[in-house]
Amino acid sequence: MNRPAAPWLRLGWRNLGRNSRRTVLTAGGLALGYCSVVVMTGLGRGMVAEMIGNGTGVLSGQLQVHSRDYLPERSVHETIGGRDGADVEGLVEAVAADPAVIAAAPRVYGGGLVSGGDQTVAAGLIGIDPKREANVSLIMRTGEAGRHPSGEANELWIGQEMARQLSVEPGDELVVVAPAADGSLGNDLFTVVGVFRSGLAEIDGTIAFLPYQSLQRLIALSSDRVHEIAARIEDAWEAPAAQSRLVASLSVSFGGAKVEDWTAFQPEMVQYARLFESFEWVLLVIVFVLAVFGVANTMLMATFERRREFAVLRALGATPGVVLKSVLWESVVLGAASLALGAAVTLPLLVWWHEAPPDVSWLYGDFTMAGGLVRPVLRVEYPFGMMVFAAFALFVTAIGAALLPAVRAGRVRPADALQD
Amino acid sequence: MGGILSLNSRAGRLLCAALVAFGTVASSAPVRGQQTAIEIVDRVDRLLRGESSRSRVTMDIVTEHWSRTLELRIRSLGTEYALIRILAPRKDAGAATLKAGDEIWNYLPRVDRTIKLPTSLMGTSWMGSHFTNDDLVKEHSLIEDYDVSIAFEGIRNGVEIWEFTLTPKPEAAVIWDQINYEVRKGDLMPVRARFFDERGDPVRSVEWSEYSSASGRLVPMKMVIVPADEPGESTTIVYDELEFDLDFLPEDFSLRALRTPNP
Repeated sequence: MNRPAAPWLRLGWRNLGRNSRRTVLTAGGLALGYCSVVVMTGLGRGMVAEMIGNGTGVLSGQLQVHSRDYLPERSVHETIGGRDGADVEGLVEAVAADPAVIAAAPRVYGGGLVSGGDQTVAAGLIGIDPKREANVSLIMRTGEAGRHPSGEANELWIGQEMARQLSVEPGDELVVVAPAADGSLGNDLFTVVGVFRSGLAEIDGTIAFLPYQSLQRLIALSSDRVHEIAARIEDAWEAPAAQSRLVASLSVSFGGAKVEDWTAFQPEMVQYARLFESFEWVLLVIVFVLAVFGVANTMLMATFERRREFAVLRALGATPGVVLKSVLWESVVLGAASLALGAAVTLPLLVWWHEAPPDVSWLYGDFTMAGGLVRPVLRVEYPFGMMVFAAFALFVTAIGAALLPAVRAGRVRPADALQD
Repeated sequence: MGGILSLNSRAGRLLCAALVAFGTVASSAPVRGQQTAIEIVDRVDRLLRGESSRSRVTMDIVTEHWSRTLELRIRSLGTEYALIRILAPRKDAGAATLKAGDEIWNYLPRVDRTIKLPTSLMGTSWMGSHFTNDDLVKEHSLIEDYDVSIAFEGIRNGVEIWEFTLTPKPEAAVIWDQINYEVRKGDLMPVRARFFDERGDPVRSVEWSEYSSASGRLVPMKMVIVPADEPGESTTIVYDELEFDLDFLPEDFSLRALRTPNP
């Protein structure tokens, strides 16, 4: 027989109203638990998104194409397509054609010495197509002085720390020396045209950007030989799918090329993301296990106070099941009220922080995590899955905590209880 | 500085050996029984180091990706100073390396600049060869850093030799965990040395041959260095001209000398 639940709901609601202060405190506790789990998860995901966004966005890109043997040794000889090189323009366009890819750019890597006056530093040389690179790497937006290198000229764009070590500023000349692919010692004069500051010490002190054609000349690589095509994908988690598509589409015309997304070449970031995800569950369990005891205590008190009432109900013919049910429904209503309260507090907070992340630079400056720069803001990502899970956990908590009190209420012996 | 990023930094001390010059004469007197292993190793070591010398050298470098031949002119004074100038190929001609004490400077004629090699890059390859810059600056003698014991005495490949095992002294700051050094008994000429890392794996070997007389001294005119981890690769040095006992002065090893193409 299907009886409507409405009377039970009303009954539960009324029972809760009988000690409204206690109800508000209990519901407030559950709501706070819900709020803290969801907001902490949102903050954690925001931090991870920030880390991945910057870690992959500053320089590496979310997707890269190399010769099969280029990584991990990064030999200068392992260009895409081997010694014969490849149709660089066609390859860049093929990568950029993927729907997830926003932009793609070719790169040539070298290493050597950069020297000015009495000072010489070891430097990683990254040959770029400045126009295309600007759409791929966030680092191109970190210029502090001067401008980007342009065209194919012998122009250098160096990190602030390197500029400091060499005591140079835009307009100054530097000698760049690098072992070339033919065994000779490439060396030439370059003009510093700009200085950048990424905030990542290892980049600002050791990396120099230059037009890739000028690096090819320096290290004796022909114009169709590049080491990497890097691509930008807005949502980093879409990169693995784009990687699969490109593996298929490039295998036809660029057989020797290997396509990898950031989860392959920056696995430590995936590890961090997984670590944070597991923290979410730990947090969920801790918060709601604590809540179970709080709610159970309240319900035990509430049912103990009403022993005589339950005894009367039983004496009037109510079965233990009916008593049990009434207590459980009371708990369900408590859960619903707590969730409403929790959501009412949590959602505006999430939207607010998502739209305008609070600046906490007064607390700490920029810092790096797994090689990614993290801005000093409380970035929040919407943890949709966790909102549902936490709501579910809240109900489980409320009902689970009421089980024992409900069973005890159902077992009340009318004669004994009424004698007290 | 050739292979600034030439990945393998195989430092080692025997470059001085061949590159910088040969010096002290090996005694041609017959070896007596009471000569200790240490004395023999020290004698051979000093043979491969130098007082003052001038030479023309052909250096053949074979790597997986390229092969090239460098013509070098080298002069040295003691273990403190050396100046190496590249004569050929044309692309690198005029480039030079100056070792003065524990510093290395390079001159690049194309941009007409001298550049001091940062300390952090001492372990990198010199001009793409299998020698490192560190090989150029090492001044300690073998017996200062290593204990010597005789591992083998007898005939190998038809030649009567000693094989010495050199193990680092506890306080020595060296990169090799063991050196196996073969020396001809008859004239105390070095034959072969093999270098091992701390795991006991071979890292590289050096073989000497073509013993000949220069300025009245018997020296090996050819030296081949073979890295253990790069099959097929090697650097070969052959002395085309070699003379000793020249009256160089420290001033002949100045930055000005480095920039002057033809002294």
